[in-house]
Amino acid sequence: MRVTVDVKGEETHEIDLETVSAGSPNGGAGTGGSTPTYQELLAEIDLSPHEVSVLVDGRPVPEDQPVESDHVTVLRLIKGGSKPPIDRNR
Amino acid sequence: MDCNRCDEEAIMHAAYSGAHLCTDHFRESVEKRVRRRVRRDDLVPHGVTPEDPLTWVIGLSGGKDSVVLTEILHETFAEDPRIELVGLTIHEGIEGYRDKSLEACVELTDDLGIRHEVVSYEEEFGVRMDDVVEDDPENMAACAYCGVFRRDLLSNYADELEADLLLTGHNLDDEAQTAMMNFLEGDVEQMAKHFDASLGPLSERDEQDEFVPRAKPLRDVPEKEVALYAHVNDLPAHITECPHSSEAYRGEIQQLLYGLEENHPGTRHSILSGYEELASIMSGEFSGDDGANLQDCAECGSTTTREVCRKCSLLESLV
Repeated sequence: MRVTVDVKGEETHEIDLETVSAGSPNGGAGTGGSTPTYQELLAEIDLSPHEVSVLVDGRPVPEDQPVESDHVTVLRLIKGGSKPPIDRNR
Repeated sequence: MDCNRCDEEAIMHAAYSGAHLCTDHFRESVEKRVRRRVRRDDLVPHGVTPEDPLTWVIGLSGGKDSVVLTEILHETFAEDPRIELVGLTIHEGIEGYRDKSLEACVELTDDLGIRHEVVSYEEEFGVRMDDVVEDDPENMAACAYCGVFRRDLLSNYADELEADLLLTGHNLDDEAQTAMMNFLEGDVEQMAKHFDASLGPLSERDEQDEFVPRAKPLRDVPEKEVALYAHVNDLPAHITECPHSSEAYRGEIQQLLYGLEENHPGTRHSILSGYEELASIMSGEFSGDDGANLQDCAECGSTTTREVCRKCSLLESLV
């Protein structure tokens, strides 16, 4: 299956699921390693599940689950540009 | 994949706990962690009465973190006459960026019916961040100037609003990064200050009469979950990155932590929990050291460890 990964505000990637390495030690529960997980899909485009949310049909999905959709949307977390450590340099 | 607690479909997986949660149980889990932190940090002392309520000022930028913090604190204390919430927004003078997030703040505080104050660098200091980054007299990153100005305004306005507490939306990722930075910089004294300024339970902090105490009730919640909470609650959080954002070292630590967390889930939690324990011990070690060095800034009168505070010396170099 070819999966379209739309990283909002950035690039859209076309990824062939066959080429994604499944069953990595911490890639999630998956289905015993046969189908790559969303986390493993993210790894293909160098994204960590801790910096993005993955949506399928507008709904967030757990990243440790096997990829079941041919179109996923990825929302990057936005750093609050206004949160330097407030306790420093008094 | 079903939720661990009901038959609904899970929307998230927390690798550090193994939990898969549906929308409702995820919401509940975030709110529970924030309320537990409020209790553990003793933020509502015994003996507070509705006749003499506490004023809690929330640093409200309009980004996801401060919006989520405001929403949960409002949910928690809306019916509690002992706590009054005030949102404080700082406009740095960044064209386009802050105007939009200010709209999010106005929408949220209107919705919740809480008091909202806005202050700007331009009105207070006669500078705008857009111009500061152009001038850059100290050859520093934008965040270095902006942080000094923001801290000054947050402190002063917390004082002016007679705040009992100043709350900010720092999340688990923010605090784990700061902890790592202090470790790697070998800054042990900074750990003690961090504890006394915002990390320790109010009842255990070294007394600091000069400053309004601070608190970070979101610090048990990973950044990703804060964003997800804003998303599933459809909160009016502003979602554009600051155009001047440039904390290179923090970015490096952040990437390092993402990798560690992926290979060893729970790393951020353990970094912060060990750090808080160490910071508590350090606070005892350095107890009383800070107060002796404090004086009034010769220019503006604010409390500082220097003759002229950092804000005044930066403003001087900008003129």
